[in-house]
Amino acid sequence: MFEIGRLCMKLAGRDAGKKCVVVDVLDDNYVLIDGQTRRKKCNLKHLEPLNIVLKLDKNASNKVVIDALKEENIDCLEKKEKEKKAVTTRPKKQKVVKNKGPKTKKADKKSKAKYSKTAKSTTVDKPATDAKKPEVKKVEAKKPEVEKVEVKKPEVEKIEAKKPEVEKVEAKK
Amino acid sequence: MVSPKHRSGSKRKVFVKTPGGKTTTHYRKRKPSSAKCGSCGAVLKGVPRELPSKMKNLPKTAKRPQRPFGGVLCTKCMRSKFKTVARAK
Repeated sequence: MFEIGRLCMKLAGRDAGKKCVVVDVLDDNYVLIDGQTRRKKCNLKHLEPLNIVLKLDKNASNKVVIDALKEENIDCLEKKEKEKKAVTTRPKKQKVVKNKGPKTKKADKKSKAKYSKTAKSTTVDKPATDAKKPEVKKVEAKKPEVEKVEVKKPEVEKIEAKKPEVEKVEAKK
Repeated sequence: MVSPKHRSGSKRKVFVKTPGGKTTTHYRKRKPSSAKCGSCGAVLKGVPRELPSKMKNLPKTAKRPQRPFGGVLCTKCMRSKFKTVARAK
């Protein structure tokens, strides 16, 4: 019943109520249509066949279908052929990589300590000689060691203070 | 007692908890009922339930489906209508 050239009316979708022609049979259930509707595959359940059968070749182009429908007094919108654009690739941007050197955790701490102490200390001239720089590093290495020892003592004192409180609560019971 | 301006079936109560811990009632407008098919009476899909003041500001494509008789007839009734038109010719 749905052979090539059969006039149908589409029942479902955006194109419902429009007339179309079967251009190619794809399957037991699917068919390629063209005409007043868009050129696409369609389920046979969404088509209602009419009495007219046109003479068309398989996979007829849109222009041939429109000319055949004009003879039957069915007006269709002509579709423009899309011009295929040549695929152009943009030149890729090359990333500029700065050579910082190998990253280590010790190097980061020293760099942070430098910035904190140079701000407090007196103004240091930027074009410093190499003899001055190693002197600054030695002073910084000593100070963190001193800080660690001081932190331990207050912890011990706090634990001793807690014990007498516990004894008082037991006496009240 | 409910204040006279709120005594109406067209208003619905919403219970709101305040930061102080009390629950108070607020009164809101009711939404209109959903749209129905013109021939069979089934609930239509793709048509939102909004007050007319809000429907005005929605874009055209958000208010009804893009197909013939969209927002008026359900899909079953639309298909049967086009079938009768095709068979009459």
